[in-house]
Amino acid sequence: MNRTRTTAIVVVAVLALPLVSGSPYVFHVAAMTGFYVVLAQSLNLVLGYGGLLSLATPAFFGIGAYVAAILSLRLGWDSAVTFPLASLAGVMSGIAIGFPSLRVSRHSFVIVTLSATLLLQLVANNWEDVTRGSLGLANIPAPRLFGVAVTERTEWYLLSLAMAGAVVFVTSLVAGSRFGRAMVATRDNEQLALAVGLDVFATRLFAFSLSGAFAGLAGALYAHFITYIDPGVFGFSVSETLLIMVILGGSGTLWGPVVGAVVFTVLPEVLRLAPEMRSLLYGVILLLIVLYRPSGLATWLGRRRAAGAAPFA
Amino acid sequence: MLTDPIFLAQLAANGVAVGLGYALAAIGLALLFGILGQVNFAHGELYMLAAFLLLWITKQLGLPYGVAAVLTVAVMAGAGALLAQVVIVPNLDRSFESVILGTLAVSIILQNAVRLAFGATPLDITSPLEGVTVDIGGVLLFGQRLLVGAAFLVAFAGLTALLRYTAIGRAMRAVSQNREACVMVGIDVRGVARWTGALSAALVGLAGVVVAPLFDLYPNMGIEVVFKSFAVVIIGGMGNLAGSALAGLALGVAESFAGGLGNAVLRDGIAFTVMIAMLLARPQGLFGRSVRV
Repeated sequence: MNRTRTTAIVVVAVLALPLVSGSPYVFHVAAMTGFYVVLAQSLNLVLGYGGLLSLATPAFFGIGAYVAAILSLRLGWDSAVTFPLASLAGVMSGIAIGFPSLRVSRHSFVIVTLSATLLLQLVANNWEDVTRGSLGLANIPAPRLFGVAVTERTEWYLLSLAMAGAVVFVTSLVAGSRFGRAMVATRDNEQLALAVGLDVFATRLFAFSLSGAFAGLAGALYAHFITYIDPGVFGFSVSETLLIMVILGGSGTLWGPVVGAVVFTVLPEVLRLAPEMRSLLYGVILLLIVLYRPSGLATWLGRRRAAGAAPFA
Repeated sequence: MLTDPIFLAQLAANGVAVGLGYALAAIGLALLFGILGQVNFAHGELYMLAAFLLLWITKQLGLPYGVAAVLTVAVMAGAGALLAQVVIVPNLDRSFESVILGTLAVSIILQNAVRLAFGATPLDITSPLEGVTVDIGGVLLFGQRLLVGAAFLVAFAGLTALLRYTAIGRAMRAVSQNREACVMVGIDVRGVARWTGALSAALVGLAGVVVAPLFDLYPNMGIEVVFKSFAVVIIGGMGNLAGSALAGLALGVAESFAGGLGNAVLRDGIAFTVMIAMLLARPQGLFGRSVRV
């Protein structure tokens, strides 16, 4: 009970921090954190619950970003329409990439998801009529939700927070549902899952397309927030960062990736690291986790807590 | 112009030269997968490391290209054994994702360490063969490209002989067939893992050493190499050495014709498109999985 109250106080304090500080920089980092929470949860669905090492999250993210940017720049559509469409584009690419990649061995799956992402980057770089190639799309306007433009930093923060909250909520619903349990079953023992009559392929395809929906939505918000995108949104480095967040946070748990996303968005900002140093640090951390804590930090915390908790407490 | 036989012959010659480079770069990856069932995401960074090592040895120590190349390949073999010891050996009995993540971490570390040490500005290595060309009936062959081809042939023949006739080669083939049985009959699986890592790194190091003078050097140069190598290894049948070599060669020729008769986008996209089409049609790859020598 006490622990729940402490956790609640910490969470509210962290969430209120940007509002209290009022600094544009803090708002910026806070909004970015929201996007990363969504992306980490997108990867967590496939990697954590589904047990599949997917490198396709940047593909969904990039598709969502381009769809939202192009629809709003070219056609001036309302974000109430383009955000769901960007999310839908994520679902479609999840199905399109999942269909070939989920049929092959798990080794090949990693490589095919990566190749599909690179192929999309190649398309974004070269389909210049639509994407303007490596010049990227600039001056993406502020999103308008039912005609009301989101321009204030507070509004952006709340939008990002709302999206992150919604995604975590949906993840918790899915994780607790029949589908979520099926996903975990296919992860833990594929043969057994098949034997009890689960459709492994369909379950994984569902996880993959929901992951696409999350990342596509994150991409749409990101494009409007940064106001500029280029083919770099499909970059492999996004996958690297997300893997750190999810695995160090604890893949296959609801809150682990959220904590991972918050820590690894805020930490590099606090430490004011140069990009090279940050990546170097990420690399060293990832290597150490793989060697010494293969099951992630959250399970470690969880295990310690379970051991320390008194019965009936 | 497009049907000019000399132009087509030149495209074919370029394609074979590039393809042998792909084959040389990919074969170490195929070996590591074939013997240990592991995927090395730092494979491209080993290639990059070899190129930068070669640069450092020629510039700082003032050694000639040939000596520096041999020295680099030897150091790379050591680096490969170290990588196997640190990342692969502790994870042999865990799921293969551990090794993917571990080698991914190594690739991030190497990329950024080299960027911090050398900067991101493209650098250049010179080789004595660079100005040399051979003219065969209007088709130009470049000296450095011929060296790439020769390096591939020597490396492939050497690897085949090693796997077939030496004790460690037999142990490697045994591990590829049944690791548990190897433990029972007293084969040092960890030793085999280190040897395989060393060989794999030496092969990709050799590729870096002979191919690098043709292009600029920059810390991200390994990314394209590892992706192309993945495509080659998948098309050739995961772990099938001869299949990978053929797939590399075929990819080089296909890219050369796509670039010469089509455009650069077609050329760059062909590896991934063929790979994905291949996986849909034949998930086991063109030649199936097994270490055949």
